[in-house]
Amino acid sequence: MRFVDIHKDRWHALGGEDGPPVSINPEPYLLLDLAQWHAVRAQWPAGVPVGLKLANDQDVEDVAADLPRFGLVALHFPKWVDGRAYSQARLLRVRYRFGGELRATGEVLVDMLPLLARTGFDAAVLRHDQSLEAAQRALGFFPAHYQGDAADNRPLFARPGAAREALAKAAEFVHAGASI
Amino acid sequence: MYRYTDFDRLFVRQRAAQYRDQLERNLAGKLGDEEFRPLRLQNGWYVQRHAPMLRIAVPYGALSALQLRRLARIAREFDRGYGHFTTRQNLQFNWIPLAKSADVMDLLAEVDMHGIQTSGNCIRNITSDALAGVAPDEIVDPRPYCEVLRQWSTLHPEFAFLPRKFKIAVSGAAEDRAAISWHDIGLRLVKNAAGEVGFDVRVGGGMGRTPLIATTIREFLPWQEILLYIEAIVRVYNRYGRRDNAYKARIKILVKAEGQKFVDAVEQEFRHILADDTDGAAHRIPAAELERVQASFVLPEGITEAGAPSGWPQEACGAFARWLQRNVHAHRLPGYRAVTLSLKRAGQAPGDVTAAQMEAAATLAERHSSGELRVTHDQNLVLPWVREGDLEALWHAAKDAGFATPNIGLVTDMIACPGGDFCGLANARSIPVAAEITERFADLDEQDDIGDIDLHISGCINSCGHHHSGHIGILGVDKDGSEWYQLTLGGADGSALSGPALPGKVIGPSFAADEVADAVEALIETYKAQRRKGERFIDTVRRIGIEPFKAPANAVRRSTAAAA
Repeated sequence: MRFVDIHKDRWHALGGEDGPPVSINPEPYLLLDLAQWHAVRAQWPAGVPVGLKLANDQDVEDVAADLPRFGLVALHFPKWVDGRAYSQARLLRVRYRFGGELRATGEVLVDMLPLLARTGFDAAVLRHDQSLEAAQRALGFFPAHYQGDAADNRPLFARPGAAREALAKAAEFVHAGASI
Repeated sequence: MYRYTDFDRLFVRQRAAQYRDQLERNLAGKLGDEEFRPLRLQNGWYVQRHAPMLRIAVPYGALSALQLRRLARIAREFDRGYGHFTTRQNLQFNWIPLAKSADVMDLLAEVDMHGIQTSGNCIRNITSDALAGVAPDEIVDPRPYCEVLRQWSTLHPEFAFLPRKFKIAVSGAAEDRAAISWHDIGLRLVKNAAGEVGFDVRVGGGMGRTPLIATTIREFLPWQEILLYIEAIVRVYNRYGRRDNAYKARIKILVKAEGQKFVDAVEQEFRHILADDTDGAAHRIPAAELERVQASFVLPEGITEAGAPSGWPQEACGAFARWLQRNVHAHRLPGYRAVTLSLKRAGQAPGDVTAAQMEAAATLAERHSSGELRVTHDQNLVLPWVREGDLEALWHAAKDAGFATPNIGLVTDMIACPGGDFCGLANARSIPVAAEITERFADLDEQDDIGDIDLHISGCINSCGHHHSGHIGILGVDKDGSEWYQLTLGGADGSALSGPALPGKVIGPSFAADEVADAVEALIETYKAQRRKGERFIDTVRRIGIEPFKAPANAVRRSTAAAA
């Protein structure tokens, strides 16, 4: 998981008014919302990196065909307890094989990290008050899980040896729990 | 019972460690109360009227004597010495300070227990038939399937923050003892003409403000596909369920609003998972995995399929005979019976048990039931493996421990939520109403004469006491800051006795607290006057409708009559 420092981030949104502007210059690392992307998708030059911001009520199916053109897809959590973006992420990775950066934005809290990582996010913009140390720690409690996830869609029962491997790693995880 | 693997143990221990980390951050002021709330909820910690309530998962109601002893210890050392069994087969404590909560989770983990997903907007603990594996009318033992579902739903990363809570119930017998049609997903194990096992899948049932009965969306889904199919249902719900209004956020509202479109969306999602996803079919359950889990659900040591010599007490009379009739149930093995330990008795709230009673029940289970107990949907305990020859000794011991009230299925065997005495949501108290009705119908001959009846009490519209499905339902409502009770008639949980699942009908304006027991009595007197020979309460209600009950119920009004 990469924790994004927005002050050093090469991706940037389009300034100005909301909604589709009259003209968008294709500069590298622009992060566009769906309406903006629709306005430029026909003319956007290949080779100029572009990213997409999806609201959590927008269907990933609608952009499936364009996914290879995006270097980044940012999914939004308007509230951290609104879990729609987990399904979007999972679909982007497992169904549509999106290979670019999948970034969580909005109200992103450290205790969401195990869920983010397992549904396919590989980058997160933590809310400003969140502790990086706690975020990293949150990722380290479970050596394996029962059900499949975006990294490996096979459940524990379909991964020979996985439970044994998890137990072999148990000592470090148990230690992580005991050190509090 | 399911035997935890080393991995299962490690997993629950790590969950306790994760929770301790979250609690410590909260206590240190690094994790705000509002943000800690959903995290503690998904571990069973729900702040109530007096203190946090801890809801401990009892997966599909199966409990060992060892686990029950541990619960007794927690009751004694951390609570005020008692706990409460719920309609979802879980156990709740009411008085444990939050600062001690991580210690309790450690103690639970030591006996393979936890509070994972017993609260919060996630897939909750899965419920099932309390007589699973022992009922003579069983078609397929649901427990291995419940366990596979439990593992799959545990910490599912995509479905931890659904629009609202999500409840699954599974039944595998001819009789529905799990009220499956009242659940977000109700599963009934069936066999097709070829003898293959599958699920009748229902979706969109629920109580609350808008009682709805689940509709069947698949009549026969091969069992191997169940995780994939549920994934499809829950994904459609997670994406399209309403999040703007908590009262409209359950899947039942989506199913009702979208109808066939919902069904089509689930079927399409199911096809996509199999056809388009990387390793899409990986959650198809292999026979080897089912067999691995089934190996936990073999007969307890010392019991064989041949059963035991018949030991049914031939000369029983008096109280013992009455207990045999009401609290002892048929078993699939000859010479064995399942026995209900009644948690409905004067002086204690329905479903409540003291630490001493937990220990007594554990001892009874060890002596007479291979160390195993079940929690029932009706808030009682069942001993599933009792030899007929042990019945008399068990009866004496159960009587000494206060478990032998011969009232199973009768009016005092009521379902009730903890109500306003404990619950922060309740509009009215349930316990005093339950107590008054228990006292009113204390006479066992009278209870027998009234016969089978489901009386359900909820302290508010959230319906934890399942008032919608009661033949008589009592619902606490708040008007001008005082407690009132609405009565419904003719509800059904979906059992053979009750008929197809159905919400009861309101019989009129609410009653005052001091009128409720009288009104219930008036309903029952009306039944007694109207019934045909051998006709049960629910059948009379169905035959004559609710109209004839209204006038007698209204006649008991005193304060509400004066106010009108």
